[in-house]
Amino acid sequence: MEFDLRKAINAISDVVQNRPAPIREFDQIYMKVADMVIQAEYVARVFDNKDVVFVGDGDGIALSAAHLKAQDVINYGPKSITLLDFDERIVNSVRRFGEKLRPKIEVSAYLYNVAEALPPEHFGAYDGFHINPPWGASNDGESVIAFFERGGQATKAKSLGIVVIADDPDLPWTQEVLRDTQNRALELGYVVSELLPQLHFYHLDDAPDLRSCSCLFRRIDPDRMHKTSQSLEPARLDNFYGKNNPLRFRYVRERITLNPDRESEQLYRLEKLEVNNERRT
Amino acid sequence: MSDALEKSGLIFMKVGLHAQESIEDIVKRKQREFEETGSIFWGYGGNTCHPFSMVQPFAKEMEESGNQVLIVMQKMNSKHAAPPEIAKQYSDDGVTWQPIPKGIEVRGSRYAMVLDELRVEEFDLDLGELQVGVGPSRGRKGDQYLMGRVDKGCFLYTPQQVPTTQDEKNVTSIGLVARVKSPYAVLLKT
Repeated sequence: MEFDLRKAINAISDVVQNRPAPIREFDQIYMKVADMVIQAEYVARVFDNKDVVFVGDGDGIALSAAHLKAQDVINYGPKSITLLDFDERIVNSVRRFGEKLRPKIEVSAYLYNVAEALPPEHFGAYDGFHINPPWGASNDGESVIAFFERGGQATKAKSLGIVVIADDPDLPWTQEVLRDTQNRALELGYVVSELLPQLHFYHLDDAPDLRSCSCLFRRIDPDRMHKTSQSLEPARLDNFYGKNNPLRFRYVRERITLNPDRESEQLYRLEKLEVNNERRT
Repeated sequence: MSDALEKSGLIFMKVGLHAQESIEDIVKRKQREFEETGSIFWGYGGNTCHPFSMVQPFAKEMEESGNQVLIVMQKMNSKHAAPPEIAKQYSDDGVTWQPIPKGIEVRGSRYAMVLDELRVEEFDLDLGELQVGVGPSRGRKGDQYLMGRVDKGCFLYTPQQVPTTQDEKNVTSIGLVARVKSPYAVLLKT
């Protein structure tokens, strides 16, 4: 793995500039930029020339991997990237940015909430999936499992999945969720192919030291694949974002603005410069 | 600490000058508001006590286990000079917004905790005997969590298993206490 670090950081900077502000209620907590470079390069390497689906991606890892390839920072990367996200701001921002990458990589994005059955056009359609779901601190990893199952449903028999979840040996819940995720993955026919421990930091004000790992799963038993995709049972939604913090909203809708890449006009006002005409004469 | 405090969920918060108003003036104003309306909206900011992802789930879990939630506040010097914008509406779910009840005023804050009577009570609290009760830092010790920029959080009281010396304690003085009541914490907007 060799690439120009300056070019890589500048490419990721383009993606960061394109991201909407995170909404903490939904665990939209953004990864720090240096770690985005590492994760995006890793994703590009693992999914070289493959069709990849990202089930949720507030961080912008999908665009980062695509942009690194499109900018020739690296000479490998996914053939196509599809984003499924419940936040219309993220979907639209990825579509806008993705159009510019189209000659080199196909990028598409659709509104989708993991609580609902996967639309048929995405079922079994991809070579690999990537998730960085709500980490399940207070729900025994239920949210991680839900995203994992959707990733599994969206991919072909021979496929890979990258799961980014919390990993801090000093916080027992992170290790329990990691264990439970691997247990469920085994039931779904996957094995752990690679684990990069304690790899990423986040803009998380109350836990600035909390890190996540990148766990690569490989499907070895296609007989365990789901034959259909169903809506999540109501009981699985009750503690989705943590205990007593249910999944209540289908979509985050974007308020239409004529300047999507600029500061909201509601957040500032202009004050005229008073010109002293006497001094000018 | 009393038995009642030890069984309660504890929301710890450092308080001082806020939106250009001294803590003494804030306390007097809030006590007046309680006498008039029966409730206090205690304004604050910061994601460590976000109404939806932290305070509400924590408070519901405590009440389900038959325990109350108390806010315990440490007075401190503060330079919080935010403009005293007065909130006009509040929401406990982010969807439905209602006018702030008549007689209540919250200044310069994004969120508010909903409190019962605010009492001036002074006692020592060892932050090393607190443990984060909700969110990504769940299980971390209070004295390790309340470092740097973090000045508030939701905690469980977990006495030390091994006796500690005075030097090992991280004792702070509490000056204000109130019960946090449903809907526990709300969003505000002007």
